[in-house]
Amino acid sequence: MSPVSATYWGLPGYIIFWALFAIAFGVFLRRFYFLYRLLRLGKSERRFDRIGQRAIFMLSVVSSQWCALKTVGLTDLAGLGHALMFWGFGFFLIGYVIIFGVDGGLGLSLPPAFEALYRSILDIAALLVIAAVIVAVIKRYIVKPKRLEREESRKEKVIMALLFTTMIVLMALHYGTEGLKYSAYNLSPSPIIGGLLANSLTSAGMSPATLSATYTAFWWINYVMLLGALVYAPHSEHLHPLFSPANIFFRPLGPKAALEPVPAEETENFGVSKLQDFTWKQLLDLYSCTWCGRCHAACPAQLSGKSLSPREIILNLKEHLLEEGPGLLNGKAEPSSNMIGDVVTEDAIWACTTCGACIEACAVKVEHVRRIMDLRRNLVLTQNKMPETAQLMLRNMQSRGHPWAGIQSLRLRGDWTDGLDVKVLADGDTADTLFWVGCTGALVERNVKATISMTRVLKTAGVDFAVLGEAETCCGDPARRAGYEFQFQMMAEQNIETFKSHNIKEIVTSCPHCYNTLKNEYPQYGGDFNVVHYTQFIGKLIAQGKLKLANGLNSRVTYHDPCYLGRYNGVYQEPRQILQSIPQTNLVEMARTRNKAFCCGGGGGHMWIEEQSGTTKINQMRLDDALKTGAEQVVTACPYCLQMFEEGIEHKGIKGALKVQDLAEIVEAAMQPSESKGAA
Amino acid sequence: MNTIVCVKQVLDPEIPPAKFKIDPETKQVIPPPGVPPVISVYDERAIEAACRLKDKHKGKITAISMGTEKAADVIKHAIAMGADDGFLLQDPAFENLDSFGTAYVLAKAIQKLGEYDLVLCGRQAADWGAGEVGSILAEILGIPVVTFACDIQGADKTLRVKRLVSDGFEVLEAPMPCLITVSSEIGLPRLPAGPRLMMARKKVIPVWKAQDIGAEPAKLDKANAHTEVTALSVPTRKTECEIIAGATPEEAAANLAMKLSKLI
Amino acid sequence: MTLGLSGYSDGGQTMDNHKGVLVCGEIADGKLAPVTIELIGLGRKLADELGEQSSVLLMGSKAGGLAQEAIAYGADNVYVAEDSLLDHYNSDAYTQIAANLCQQVLPSIMLLGHTDIGLDLAPRLNGRLGGGLAMDCIALSIDPPTKLLASTRPVFGGNAHATMVSKSARPQMATIRPKTVPPAACDASRQGQVIPVEGKVDPAAIKVKVVERIKEQAEGVKLEDAEVVVSGGRGIGGAQNFAMLRDLASVLGGAVGASRPACDEGWVPARLQVGQSGKVVSPKLYIAVAISGAMAHIAGCLGSKVIVAINKDKDANIFSVAHFGVVGDYKQILPALTAKLKELKSA
Repeated sequence: MSPVSATYWGLPGYIIFWALFAIAFGVFLRRFYFLYRLLRLGKSERRFDRIGQRAIFMLSVVSSQWCALKTVGLTDLAGLGHALMFWGFGFFLIGYVIIFGVDGGLGLSLPPAFEALYRSILDIAALLVIAAVIVAVIKRYIVKPKRLEREESRKEKVIMALLFTTMIVLMALHYGTEGLKYSAYNLSPSPIIGGLLANSLTSAGMSPATLSATYTAFWWINYVMLLGALVYAPHSEHLHPLFSPANIFFRPLGPKAALEPVPAEETENFGVSKLQDFTWKQLLDLYSCTWCGRCHAACPAQLSGKSLSPREIILNLKEHLLEEGPGLLNGKAEPSSNMIGDVVTEDAIWACTTCGACIEACAVKVEHVRRIMDLRRNLVLTQNKMPETAQLMLRNMQSRGHPWAGIQSLRLRGDWTDGLDVKVLADGDTADTLFWVGCTGALVERNVKATISMTRVLKTAGVDFAVLGEAETCCGDPARRAGYEFQFQMMAEQNIETFKSHNIKEIVTSCPHCYNTLKNEYPQYGGDFNVVHYTQFIGKLIAQGKLKLANGLNSRVTYHDPCYLGRYNGVYQEPRQILQSIPQTNLVEMARTRNKAFCCGGGGGHMWIEEQSGTTKINQMRLDDALKTGAEQVVTACPYCLQMFEEGIEHKGIKGALKVQDLAEIVEAAMQPSESKGAA
Repeated sequence: MNTIVCVKQVLDPEIPPAKFKIDPETKQVIPPPGVPPVISVYDERAIEAACRLKDKHKGKITAISMGTEKAADVIKHAIAMGADDGFLLQDPAFENLDSFGTAYVLAKAIQKLGEYDLVLCGRQAADWGAGEVGSILAEILGIPVVTFACDIQGADKTLRVKRLVSDGFEVLEAPMPCLITVSSEIGLPRLPAGPRLMMARKKVIPVWKAQDIGAEPAKLDKANAHTEVTALSVPTRKTECEIIAGATPEEAAANLAMKLSKLI
Repeated sequence: MTLGLSGYSDGGQTMDNHKGVLVCGEIADGKLAPVTIELIGLGRKLADELGEQSSVLLMGSKAGGLAQEAIAYGADNVYVAEDSLLDHYNSDAYTQIAANLCQQVLPSIMLLGHTDIGLDLAPRLNGRLGGGLAMDCIALSIDPPTKLLASTRPVFGGNAHATMVSKSARPQMATIRPKTVPPAACDASRQGQVIPVEGKVDPAAIKVKVVERIKEQAEGVKLEDAEVVVSGGRGIGGAQNFAMLRDLASVLGGAVGASRPACDEGWVPARLQVGQSGKVVSPKLYIAVAISGAMAHIAGCLGSKVIVAINKDKDANIFSVAHFGVVGDYKQILPALTAKLKELKSA
């Protein structure tokens, strides 16, 4: 009965079965090994720590399909479709092993009841798979959402078409084979749908011999197709099913926004300019990309018209790896095309604001930002190539210790303390709590107002704190984000020494970039302090009753989540709680909010580096988001965001219609008048 | 090619004018607190010119600076950009020297360094801005000088220099050894990259005093100075600026146009 | 390479045998350069205050023919060095002739224009002669009790003025920009001596040779002579945006200038730079667009009759020296300004 037990052209079915399997599996393994060897072209990287934690996460996320389901939104149900397909094929995979392997290859018959039951499960799974494929086809070829917009190469078009076709055909073959089997051999019990098909075949009046012969044929076709799919999988470029679980396993476990220092052994070529400069994990990312395009649809640079698409970078690099890989494995010294220039353009490298929306949106944990930063490091540290606006800012960092050009700042670092009763640390002084102001808060007129508000708030709450005044230099974030790593390192080491010399234990800062750098990146250089953003600090003060915000705001406000505070460091609730504790505050949310908040455009060095000419400005887009809420005020907790909104409001000429405030300014205004009189 | 670059550390030229203060008694500028001094803009261009020549023709670059102990930073900056080593000329006798005195000290230091093919200076210092030291130095050394260079190309024993004049350029050929003063039109200087930045920071810059370079006390004596400053003042400028407003930028522009058409 | 200290003379020569004023003149297009006429006037004034003579040095094959004119403007003696090797400025040749003459004539004061020639020649001459030099002076006077030349010059990018004297070093040298002092009055009846300079230029002494001269095409009105100047600064943001300034300048019949950052960025050629290390202009109307107002730039335009500032930042320093200002984005203001001016012009 089993097709395998028959003899074909003198050969027993078993032999043919296993021979085909051996060939297919062999070819599969060979290709898989080749892909593995390509990964080995990359540098080493420590990702085998905390294996237990990694394994549990990966297994739970993949089997529950949370990786796909987390992307589901009202307008984007594709994640649900993927989950159905995954589970469907999961059952099928087991089913194939049982049906083809156990029953076919090993000749062990299954108990009929069990087989009917399992087949029924597969019958339903197949329906779900077919439904999911139909919806996917409609989405891809008819609806065409933004995230799927791409200039697909012929190869990719063929792959996608084959993928959909194969899935449908396999499902059809399942039903067909099943119906034929149950009809030809009159078996019972029968599976739900298979049984119905069998009945209709029987009533169609085909002879058992015909049915059995057709069944055998279908069985072998199904088997060969499966083996074909097995062989094709690693040879196609659609590699994510094979590699993305591994990518999730090897995901980064450190703070999201912390960049790694340049390795100390590196002496000549910094950053990445060729494939071998990447680590193996960064190369694994290239296989794992599912082509979904959610990073593309979330990227502020892309949405404002820049030539940067996070997905394009990943997929172009994958092509580059597959093209150049064979040669490099054979010992070829140079690839035939340049990574920077041919595969990834310099414009794209510089357009990134490091907002992290791409990383947040990615279902399989591809690391885009780190890659772009590595490319930037190569441009700046090895090739000395950067936009002039970047160079001017970095030279300022180097000679003046801050990124703001001298004559434009019109003030000196310590000037903001004039007329305020703040303790400025002198040599030899110590303090437990340091209020770290940041360059923008000390040097740019508009932001100094927020700094002064913050000072008054701290004093009213009776906090014993000190500031560094003119001894404060930049935390180094703009240098690091612009790729100028060694300058960053020097500044970090200098600042850590300063903190240690004053015996600082706790640092409160107004700037999320400083917050991220001091908290998550300074430990790389021996800095170990308790770093808090002021929204967290003020929140605590309110909870402790040290601050009473009794003055009503009387306003409809919306809160803009700074990327480095919200998405990267998870601080969403604290600023909102502060706003909601102020009476008569009507807090509304923008459509893109919290972890999906749209960048203001100021990160990644872009407060100074000019945006690509001829494109929309990112801050204008975010301003539109705010205007759509109907709010009278936008509140934020980052000096860059504040600047970007102010600039946007002025450019659009809507100064009367919308006001932007730093949260510190709002808190100061909400403090009771009798208390605030005593401060400053 | 063996190049010597003379660099000077100056008060940051980009401090806000309101912060600029002088002491009329001592005739000195009072640097505002917390503002680090910087390398003179044109001297940085001179280092860049030296580095470009070294990129093409190999060779050695030595940076020298006459200044306070802080001036070691500008020598380190030169090393970070590409100079091979540097020396700081620091001595109480070197303080407040005029252009001649400065050129003399630099000449003695160059004499001590030995052989060279090219001396590069900025066209003028970003603080006192006289633009004399380079040419005087060349006269003391007895070598030809080309000023206001905006491009230098090397070829064997001769340099091809593009020089800035008010209505265009001149191209000159200068035999080595010679001295060239460099202007900012040479282009933006390279950002000190990678490990050079760290290496330069750690380097200890040797200090040469007057006796190390054999400078005669008579030449450094202030009584024998060629020029001296008898007065230093901050000119007061007060204009009442009439701000022309309008409901929109375009309206303000139209109002301004009407104002101007009455004037011209 | 031997390091000779040749050509370097000590400033220890006694001052008593140095007398009179010597103007190092320039010949442009076969005529006395305007700055030379101004300096002859100044030299006359200083010489009269000292009770000494005023002389002029003219170099070039046309020098002889201009001597009488120089005398008419106020020179007592005109030294003429007629040599075709001096027709175009050559640093080595001019230094050789001028230095030799100075060592014979021993002037107490030497004046040069702060021009392409003066900027190069004055420091070299100073080095060779061992005098005392003040560059780019805005005022020169004789201090009555000491009879010393007091030179006032801008320093620290124009943030301060320094007054300098040379107690013992001679000659006392100074360079002055064109249009700083008024041109000399012409008196054709004045008498004076024309003295040919001994010795020709020694070709062996010319080490640096000029191989090529490239004139940059000046579009329209020359910056230094324009009655209206429209200047752009760092805030302009790019080369293509300068087109707006060119439009405004052409409606006003003026020239385009720039501050140093805009030139350093390469948005406009360096010769359009207005400022301490560029050109000093004194037009009737100076419009500063997106210029913050660093002293070094202001020093280059302060002589303008009317200064207008257009800047986004209401606290920009330029407003402290401007007569009129508009606070806003130049991209919105300039086109409207140009259009309205055009309209008013045709009305």
